[in-house]
Order: sequence, then C-alpha cells, then structure tokens
Amino acid sequence: MSNDIVCRDLLELISRYLDDALPGDVHAGVEAHLAVCDGCSMVLEEFRTTIRMTGMLTEDQVTPAQRDTLLAAFRDWTG
Amino acid sequence: MELVERLTPSMRRVARMFVSTDAVADEAVQEAWLGVLQGIDRFEGRSSLRTWIFRILVNTAKTRGQREARSVPFATLAGDDLDEPTWDPTAFDAGGHWSSLPFDWRGLPEERLTGHETLVVIGRAIETLPPMQAEVIRMRDVLGWSSDEVRNALELSDTNQRVLLHRARAKVRAAVEKHLRSVSA
Repeated sequence: MSNDIVCRDLLELISRYLDDALPGDVHAGVEAHLAVCDGCSMVLEEFRTTIRMTGMLTEDQVTPAQRDTLLAAFRDWTG
Repeated sequence: MELVERLTPSMRRVARMFVSTDAVADEAVQEAWLGVLQGIDRFEGRSSLRTWIFRILVNTAKTRGQREARSVPFATLAGDDLDEPTWDPTAFDAGGHWSSLPFDWRGLPEERLTGHETLVVIGRAIETLPPMQAEVIRMRDVLGWSSDEVRNALELSDTNQRVLLHRARAKVRAAVEKHLRSVSA
C-alpha cells in the first residue's frame, strides 16, 4: 500500500502513539508497521523504558532558605 | 505548604525562562503564590489546581520580563530544532526504512538500566535541553502531569507540547543509548 508508514516517519509519531493521541487510522498504521518491523519495535520499547527511567528521577528540593523566604512573604500577606 | 514545596522548584525554572536573574525569578514565584492565595476564591476547577497556579506564575513572570524589557523569542526557549527530523536521517535508506539499526540495549539487566549512573545521565541530558523542552519532559515524565495540564500550565499549543515532549524524549533516549553502549563495550 502506498500509504504505509515508513520507519523514518514512525519515529516521529512515537510519543503521540504512546499518548493515544493519533487519529484512528494512523494509530492502526503504526500498529501494523510495528507488527512487522523489529527496528521500530525496539525503539518503541526503548522509549517506554526511557520514560520509565525518567520517572525515577526526583524533583529538585526547595532549599531551607527559599522555604523561609516564601513563608515570610505569606506571613506579611496574612498580617 | 506541601503543595508549595512540591511546585516551587518547577515554578522557579519556568519563571527563569522569562526573566533575567534567579533573584527576579524568585520574586515572581513569591508574587505568584500571593496571587494564588488572594485569588483562590476565584478558582473554578475548570483546570487542575496546579495548572491554574502555573498560569498565574507564567503571567507574573512574563509581566516582570516585560518590565525588564526582556523579551525572549519562543525559539530560544523551545529550541531551534523543532522543524528538523528527530532522528539522524542517515540511519534510513532512500525509502525511509532502517539502513543501520541503533544499539540494542533492551536485553541489559534492570540494575544497569535503572542504576544510579544511568539516572545521572538522564538528569544531565534533561539539563542540557532547551528550557521549554526540559520543562515539558520534567512535567510529563518526572512529575507525571497529563498533556493537557502541561499545555495549559505552560501556555503551549497541543502540537507544540507534543513536539517538545517527543524531541526531549528522543534526546534523552539517545543519551541513554550512548551511555549504555559505552559501558557495555
């Protein structure tokens, strides 16, 4: 079929595919491609793993000084 | 106070995109929190609370940026590579199919994938992203916000939110690949 998704284009769609944000026919096209393409299936799995690993990062902490400044500002406001 | 502690680090980074110094960014965050306290009665629950707080912050920071006569082009924040392909074009043949596959790291042990070293690589990769790409991937993948929440909080179009996220993830994935290839060699 002429409207098959090629690897180069599929790689641009991965995040939208994972968010379930593609139109139905494109989503189906991605699945059909993944079913027969080891390279793209590998990269998709690596994206999933990367997202999972990124989720293990911890957010920066507020420093005690920043916390005190904010608290002081709130106190001023509430008088 | 818990919400303040949880949101303030992202708020400082987002404010810093629009103003010239850390000190002014801190002022914008304080002003935004006061605005939140003063306006909480007007919060209608049409967006999530954190999205609403970020909208107040972004407005506050932009106003301060304008007062400083600092205007930051969107391309500086978002990165100037958004129209380019995410993947190195030389990996494909003329028909757009793989001609050389990237390093396969799927079989590596879990402790190598999620070990401290790999997480440091990911953290550094995020720090080197253009600021808006970094913030979108932090909100989506570190903090677990939805695409709608991030789009509304940062005043991005749906398309831009998706492009920024995908671009950020692709660069982080590439950094992970490079790291794992070097330690597996």
